[in-house]
Amino acid sequence: MAGPWPLLRSILRNCVAGTLVGVTVNDRYASVVTVRGTSMNPTLEPQQGDRALVSRLCLDARYGLSRGDVVVFRSPTEHRSLVVKRLIALPGDWIQVPAAQEIRQIPVGHCWVEGDNPDVSWDSRSYGPIPLGLMQGRVTHIVWPPNRIGPVERKMPEGRVMQQ
Amino acid sequence: MGTRNHLWLAAKRTLTWYLVGFTISDRYATVVSVTGDSMHPTFTAASSSLRGDVVLAERSCLQKYQFSHGDVVLFKCPSDHRELFVKRLIALPGEWMQLPGTPDIIKIPEGHCWVEGDNAACSWDSRSFGPIPLGLIKGRVTHVIWPPSKIGRVDTKMPENRISPL
Repeated sequence: MAGPWPLLRSILRNCVAGTLVGVTVNDRYASVVTVRGTSMNPTLEPQQGDRALVSRLCLDARYGLSRGDVVVFRSPTEHRSLVVKRLIALPGDWIQVPAAQEIRQIPVGHCWVEGDNPDVSWDSRSYGPIPLGLMQGRVTHIVWPPNRIGPVERKMPEGRVMQQ
Repeated sequence: MGTRNHLWLAAKRTLTWYLVGFTISDRYATVVSVTGDSMHPTFTAASSSLRGDVVLAERSCLQKYQFSHGDVVLFKCPSDHRELFVKRLIALPGEWMQLPGTPDIIKIPEGHCWVEGDNAACSWDSRSFGPIPLGLIKGRVTHVIWPPSKIGRVDTKMPENRISPL
């Protein structure tokens, strides 16, 4: 009567528990994304099949994002896709827009994002500041391929942002 | 030994239920309480003692982004990322709509939508901040679950003659 059932049940239970832990961690704390598109060259290189670790912890009440972070957000024009870019300016900052000879202020609750490879990047220079509510996480590490494993550095363009 | 075993089991069970709860709330449906007058009379705002209507918001619509006109949606405020707003979805991307109170007609940009409160007099919505990205939407309100007298579905409802799909 004991048979294989207790064993099967315990395996099944562990599988379900493992899935739940995985889903929760993925939704709330950290996940791994594959990078496509060359807008973040040379920080992230899709030709090498870069996979990046995205931390979502920065999204809680304090919003621990700072200028120069590489962030993942929902595209403001195509809600199904996620985009990875560098966060340049936060609410209240003044930024010099490279193409136009103008200085503009970032509105409340918005931010300015740009790719590291300005030639091929479609970013705030085309669609303007985006709401911080679109943010999905911060890229902290490259986790694959093995020769590129390492943290992603914070980096800022010089002399373009006047911080508030 | 017996008690420790018992405690361990209880802890494991509690943790599992937490995880199940988190998963359901993150992916399928969540419960939020409404504050503010902007959706009156669909929802009543918080009175001094009680915290107002509690509503059920489903999230599965987010996977496919299936929204229709007149849905009540939950979204992150475009100017304050910490706040969730609840408003009615009036227009979807690519549609032309007439701004209330003016003869102007605007086109909703790609990937954006237009949201308005049911109580036009005291609602801070797209009429002030313009179209919002669909990516800000966090769920669709389907039912009112508290107080008991108001339990029921939330109907989709549209103001007449405001949009002209092209």
